Amino acid sequence: MKVLKLMMSAFMASCMAVAFTACSDDDPVVTPPVTPEEPEQPVTPEEPEPTPTATYHFDLFVCAVKHGGMSQNKNGTFVRSVSALTSDQPMVDFTGKGLDITQDYTMESIVKGKYYYQVPQSPADRFVKFQIVKDADGDEIAQKIAEVPFLGNTYFARKYTHAWLDDATLVVVGTDSDHKIVYWSKLNDGGESLSIAAEGTLDIPMPEGASALSTSGILTYRQTDGKLFYFYNGKIAAGLTESATSTFHVAVIDPVTMQVQEIHDVDPALAEECAASAYGELMQNTVMYDESGNLYMACLKTINGDETGVLLRMDADKTTFDTAYNGFPNPEGKLLTIQYLANGKALAYSRDNSKGVKIDSVSHFYTIIDLATGERKRVSCSGVDLPYCGGRFSQRSVVVGDKAYIGCTEGEGETDNPRIYIYDIPTGEVTMGLQLSKGFCFDILRVIED
Amino acid sequence: MANKRDKMRIFLRIVWVMCCLSCLSMVAQTKYTLSGRVMDEGKAPLPMATIAVEHTTFGTYSDEQGHYQLTLKEGTYTVVVSTVGYESVKMRVTLHGNKRKDFQLKESSVSLNVVEVLGKSKSQQIREGAFAVNALDVKPLINSVGNLNEMVNRTTGIRVREEGGVGSDFDLSINGMSGNSVRYFIDGVPLSTKGTGVSLANLPVNLIERIEIYKGVVPASLGDDALGGAINIITNQSKRNYLDVSYGIGSFHTHRADLNAQFVEPKSGLIVKPTIGVNYSKNDYLMKGVEVRNADKTGFITTDCRRFHDDYLSLLGQLEVGVTDKPWADAFFVSGSYSLVNKELQTGSVQTWVYGMAERNSHAASISARYQKQDLFVERLSLQALLSQTWDHSETIDTTYRKYYWDGTYINGSFSEIRGRGRSWRHYERPLTMSRVNLTYALNDKHAFSLNYLLNRTGNKQSDEVDETYVPTNDALVKHVIGLSYTQSFLSDRLNNVFFLKDYVNHLKVEQTELSSITGSATVKPSDTHLYWGGGLGSRFTWKPWSSWKLSYEHSVRLPLSQELLGNGATIYPNVALQPERSDNFNLGLYGTIRMAPGHVLYYEGSGFLRLVDDYIQATVSQQEGMMQYENVDAVHIKGVEGEVRYDWSDKLHLMVNASYQDARDQRRYKQDGKPSVTYHNRTPNKPWSFINAEASYTFKNMWLPSDRLRLSYEYQWVHWFYLTWEAYGSSKTKARVPTQNLSNVGLLYSWKDGRYNFSLQCTNLFDKMAYDNYMLQKPGRAFFAKFRLFIQ
Repeated sequence: MKVLKLMMSAFMASCMAVAFTACSDDDPVVTPPVTPEEPEQPVTPEEPEPTPTATYHFDLFVCAVKHGGMSQNKNGTFVRSVSALTSDQPMVDFTGKGLDITQDYTMESIVKGKYYYQVPQSPADRFVKFQIVKDADGDEIAQKIAEVPFLGNTYFARKYTHAWLDDATLVVVGTDSDHKIVYWSKLNDGGESLSIAAEGTLDIPMPEGASALSTSGILTYRQTDGKLFYFYNGKIAAGLTESATSTFHVAVIDPVTMQVQEIHDVDPALAEECAASAYGELMQNTVMYDESGNLYMACLKTINGDETGVLLRMDADKTTFDTAYNGFPNPEGKLLTIQYLANGKALAYSRDNSKGVKIDSVSHFYTIIDLATGERKRVSCSGVDLPYCGGRFSQRSVVVGDKAYIGCTEGEGETDNPRIYIYDIPTGEVTMGLQLSKGFCFDILRVIED
Repeated sequence: MANKRDKMRIFLRIVWVMCCLSCLSMVAQTKYTLSGRVMDEGKAPLPMATIAVEHTTFGTYSDEQGHYQLTLKEGTYTVVVSTVGYESVKMRVTLHGNKRKDFQLKESSVSLNVVEVLGKSKSQQIREGAFAVNALDVKPLINSVGNLNEMVNRTTGIRVREEGGVGSDFDLSINGMSGNSVRYFIDGVPLSTKGTGVSLANLPVNLIERIEIYKGVVPASLGDDALGGAINIITNQSKRNYLDVSYGIGSFHTHRADLNAQFVEPKSGLIVKPTIGVNYSKNDYLMKGVEVRNADKTGFITTDCRRFHDDYLSLLGQLEVGVTDKPWADAFFVSGSYSLVNKELQTGSVQTWVYGMAERNSHAASISARYQKQDLFVERLSLQALLSQTWDHSETIDTTYRKYYWDGTYINGSFSEIRGRGRSWRHYERPLTMSRVNLTYALNDKHAFSLNYLLNRTGNKQSDEVDETYVPTNDALVKHVIGLSYTQSFLSDRLNNVFFLKDYVNHLKVEQTELSSITGSATVKPSDTHLYWGGGLGSRFTWKPWSSWKLSYEHSVRLPLSQELLGNGATIYPNVALQPERSDNFNLGLYGTIRMAPGHVLYYEGSGFLRLVDDYIQATVSQQEGMMQYENVDAVHIKGVEGEVRYDWSDKLHLMVNASYQDARDQRRYKQDGKPSVTYHNRTPNKPWSFINAEASYTFKNMWLPSDRLRLSYEYQWVHWFYLTWEAYGSSKTKARVPTQNLSNVGLLYSWKDGRYNFSLQCTNLFDKMAYDNYMLQKPGRAFFAKFRLFIQ
């Protein structure tokens, strides 16, 4: 049972970007990456295994009027919980329904197990742990579990990155408003309590030629060798006016002492910037690990003035990216999210620049990437490609057990509602799932432990 | 530099034109003075009596001693003298020279408590014609009213929503239209000429004689682009010497002092009018149920804390010098004013954003000249002209990286308090050039034409003292409003009609590119001009002495204010892509006075209105960083009804109740992306839509001291709760809402020596209820205010 729980956690982690990999500590990986001969399967316990949907439920986040994320939504964010995402479930209606989190919480959040963790929208002077549960009437409500005031370091809502070192230790990293100092805090999750165990600053020098660091950067913990990686960019200007990326770096950190052990510059020919460097993985998954502990990261590079996606890989025993690898060749546009499935396959959400580059442009689509070859294939259902979606800052897919649940936004047709598609990982088959009512912008799908 | 030179040249030219007009008008016909006194049967003076010349726009009021003075050309006139509670007197008067004529009015069997508005020239004609103009007589309430907002807030269809205590930002709405859809004037001149810090909240009360509130349809004579209505503050127009001084002290370390005086030099007729008003408050009222850190700073506890960073100081000084009733000018005044507002900021747009160091300060200096002349060049042609220049400077200081809690403790943080970004000390220079010309020509007693022109140029030069990354900008907003109106009167003045046309030209020059994804600066041209048309009509018909109908319509355009477009530098983001509001406004009203028995008067009014608004400008609380921003909502229909009933008994007992219901609903079926909108037909959020005011007072006379009065009053306000966001957004359980308000105020006023000495005591929020006008912005609890006023004439 313990192993089962661990496996469940691993699946959860991959979909929620908590840098909590499956339990493989295989040999160091070389190019091409070593893919286990057999996909790692949960150990069959003596008791029958509960189905994932019996243990978990799903929270669906929508925004009003426009897609949200990155401070783009001023109209409100609403959440509804459902026990399953299959097509036999009733349509999820948001009109006059759902938890309105707008005034208290941000849609960007850390998620682990049953709980959400974040610096709330208001008051943004603390870390808070909360749950979204249903009350006696079946209405979603937020239930605060624990909170702790900032100690010395302060963080702004949604502008930080995080990594779990173990089930109870959360590291949060963010920069000051001038983007010159990188702060860190270690939080101890004591179940009903939350405390700040330690905090300090990372010894990250300003890259040569840059005047500011990333707003948040990306923090991830590689469990196979216990290293903490901090990916960040150097920028010519920060925040107040549009910034221009200059350099891309990797800092290797000792998670115990939080001392920076190494800093590596990423070759600009590989990538210019890591994705989601302003808000970490609070909303979108941009880092994933395969069964061997190889790290993959969604990055971007400018080609002919267009932002295009790059998928970099850092082998399990390395602290620099593999310069010969790009898992996202010939990109149509920006790579936004990646999630590891199994067997060297990953689910990607990317943009076709030719169809529009605005946040709400219906130009985003899902593909399955073969990480070994970089080959990509549009996710399709009954021979029809899943529709293009709006929402650049969206994360509408989760991986649970041997299923990937993929959310699409509403289409032009009257019956073209937002819908979940269910991808069966072992067979690659896609079936239709639950529908959402029209009128709101479907932005996030999260899997939550019951 | 060239730009400055151009502006100076324009300014000098206009001054020159005004001087020329003044000289030309000196050749006009000789005028004579009709003066005298209005008294009751016992020869006691009757102040505030109306002395009107029938079928003309001439008229005046009697002063405190009953004296009046009218300047008229040679001829024979019918003069009508009237006042509340007395029978009107009508008399023919022939003028071949200066003449003195006293009037004695007989006490009426009934007593009215309706304030009649005697507008000067065009205003009066319009009021009697078609516009629904309610005038609030401030004079009797000067002794007890703290600020004008309190008074306006009690009237039908008006809501003033304050964010906190004294000097807090407020939003005023008329018939459900956003506060910024309402334009403010002082003596017909846009109030903004006094500086952006001067508002109804800090204008010296002693200065004010009455307030005119125009709902929905705004006369072209005011020459501005109000969409929801206009508030015109009329200052004391008395032509006698007087000194009016008051001082008040109240809860939360509040102090108010006003001085208003007038000195008339008899020989030259030179009039000097100094005015000073000072408001100060620490606003350290108790915030109930707020969170602070516990003793070991590991968690939070809920407690009550006093506000600790909300000091407010305002100062307005003004000196007006001029003459009246000269051959070359009916009135010519030059004035200079200086205003200063220093305000500590305690919270963001919700009270969980606690500030401890942030400030917003402003000061402004202005000079202006106004000129008024009847029979300019030709008979029946009158001119009113104004030229004003204001230098307005404000700053927002946000230089501290601290995170404050309600107990005043803080931790050193890594973000600034207001913006949550780097340090900034932002300066805003907003020079305002205003020019207004109003030409009226009366064909005869029944028909008149009026042409109005308003030029308003507001600059917005921004720079930052500490933020090295900030690129200084210099934006400008220029609007020209041209209005043409035609007024007619039939059936012995029982039927009045007015037709008008307005042309709005808006020019915006934007240099700022900061936060373009939020402010929209990337989507607008750096320099752009737009033209908009508006117009309407109004009609009033008196079918019985106790009942009159009013009907009016206006297609109005409201150009965005500089604050809406360019932000306030503190809690409001710019939105330079904001479009003007447009609205079709309809009003239908019935009003009248029923004299039930001697001394018993019942006044009633009821009206319905409809506003069909496009690109409705609405303030939204941004999800992020405790900021607000104005946005266009594509279509909103507001319909509503309101009514008021007042009962007065012999100037002793006064009862009033008014109720307003406003139903503002989103009419947009589809979103911009063509998909159905879930908010279609939803009630507009964050707007009070149902409220009631009631008041009762009783006045005792001649109790202890000579000519004394004791007035005891009670006021009650009820506001229905409302959602902060659209009804369709989220379940009602978890939606943010602004709760119902039930507030009671009591007051005591004692005056003696015919109002020479006055003492008042007020208690607001008597039962110490939690009160919110805005989401999560607690208003003060129970508060006391005492005031002494000396009025020497």
